[in-house]
Amino acid sequence: MAQLPALVDGVERLTDMMQAPPDAFVQARGIGKRFGALTALRDVDIDIRAGEVLALLGDNGAGKTTFVKVLAGAHVPSDGTLRIGGDTVRFASPRDAADHGVATIYQELALSENLKVAENIFLGHELVRPVLGVPFLDRAAMRARVRVLLGELDAHIPDIEAPVGSLSGGQRQAVAIARALNLDARLIIMDEPTAALAVAETRKVLNLTRRLAESGRAVVIVSHNIADVFEVADRMIVFRRGRKIAERKRAETDPDEIVALITGAHPDARVADQP
Amino acid sequence: MNHALRRNLVPVMLCVLWVALLGTLAATHAWILSPRTLTSVLQFATILSLAAMGMGLVVIAGGAGIDLSVGGTISLSAVLGMMGLGAGLPGYWLPMVCLGCGVMLGLFNGLLVTRLGILPLIVTLGTFYLFSGLALALTGGGAIAGVPDWAVGWGRARWGALPMPFITVVLPAFVLLSGLMALTSWGRWIVAMGDNERAARLAGLPVDRVRLMLYALSGALAGLGGFISLAWLGSARPNIGVNVELEALTAVLLGGVAITGGRGGLVGVVSAALLVVMLRTALLQIGINTVWQTGAIGALLVVALLVNRFSNSRG
Repeated sequence: MAQLPALVDGVERLTDMMQAPPDAFVQARGIGKRFGALTALRDVDIDIRAGEVLALLGDNGAGKTTFVKVLAGAHVPSDGTLRIGGDTVRFASPRDAADHGVATIYQELALSENLKVAENIFLGHELVRPVLGVPFLDRAAMRARVRVLLGELDAHIPDIEAPVGSLSGGQRQAVAIARALNLDARLIIMDEPTAALAVAETRKVLNLTRRLAESGRAVVIVSHNIADVFEVADRMIVFRRGRKIAERKRAETDPDEIVALITGAHPDARVADQP
Repeated sequence: MNHALRRNLVPVMLCVLWVALLGTLAATHAWILSPRTLTSVLQFATILSLAAMGMGLVVIAGGAGIDLSVGGTISLSAVLGMMGLGAGLPGYWLPMVCLGCGVMLGLFNGLLVTRLGILPLIVTLGTFYLFSGLALALTGGGAIAGVPDWAVGWGRARWGALPMPFITVVLPAFVLLSGLMALTSWGRWIVAMGDNERAARLAGLPVDRVRLMLYALSGALAGLGGFISLAWLGSARPNIGVNVELEALTAVLLGGVAITGGRGGLVGVVSAALLVVMLRTALLQIGINTVWQTGAIGALLVVALLVNRFSNSRG
């Protein structure tokens, strides 16, 4: 009977393979999250593929941010399984998620304003030359790497020795993205990446987003801005009342349908409205 | 106000205060500015500088960090060190016992802050009373004599006008800690978590562990201060740490550390500690009542807080 666990494992793998195309980098199945009596997320199945931009849409409180936090390791799901790159994972912290190639760029841009550009990009992953176990910073190497990263993103930050507090919104976005690139992220989650940006800067960030996907990374963006989403996303998923109620390819839908799904006017949205 | 000036308001004020103090003394009491005063200032500044560096790092690391218990830790670790000798420990253990007691007391603060999530102000106010109360209770208020001769010899020795404890403990500690802050990942982590704790946690920094270590470090430096007080005075006095927390906090804020964390450095802190002691020594030598000295330090603390408030807005 020693083969039985291996057999069960094999069958599980087989059913997983049947459920999703083999190239889905992230496979979330039956994800649920409860906070006490409140159910924030219920039975969510989502595939995220490398090389595509997936947009998560929904009203405030619809569950998209909760789902993203599960992906990012900020919340531990109450139910369901999460497979990333073929491994079943259970993230206890953002650090766990980062170790599996998941990087999150938060709405309020989690950067330290008093630290320099390079110090922010490398925070927690500094390039060091340890002397007797003491991690001495290798600033020259970090500066060189920052120039490469920013060049790759075609981002212009005139003074990389400046504190991040003195940069514009788009420049900060570029620093946050460079940080994700440096961590060799394979899934990059962007929470409202264009929310606080001027028009020209929004353009740049959307271009950056496409560029990330074209380089073979999986990108998830959470946004309220339908126009931005239609410009950048390959696929869209709409959340309502903690459930995934719709999944559409960009070519097969239009902004009106998506808005109807978000607001609950669309017939498909009624599913979530039953108690 | 000019942006650069605004950001550097506190260092500028510190320089102005130094120039004003030295200028006033040179004009009115020039005899005070002697090598003997230098010796005495450094002697008194030794314990304060250690406490202020520990407090400074705790404050820079943010999370409403503050260590009001440093004075109590100094007194209690000095008392416990001498009681250790009384209980039969060999004399050369004295520095280690004081240091170890400091670390344990600091860890106690750090655990209460990081594990139980109690506000540092409340925790260290409580432990301030606890530690200084214990020091008084254990000694019955009296001093414990019998510090080994080698320790007293070192504590009172000088190299030129410079007191030995200052050269052999404060300077190395200052160089070491400044180096850690400026040249290592740890220094960046401390600034980052004080600046934006959420960002630091999201970046995966071990925020709670670093904070625990900093409270332990603050305790260790206070413990060293306790040993230096023994070596200098030749006995353990349960009240040796009185008011050190007030002066250390003044030095920290006057030295340009933002009370909200994330900004400031040890150069400012130590030079402000020296200023505080210089001011006190000058008042003493001019013959102004000691009651007014504490008042003057308090006034300086209020001024430092005000200037801190104005330079803090990121405009």
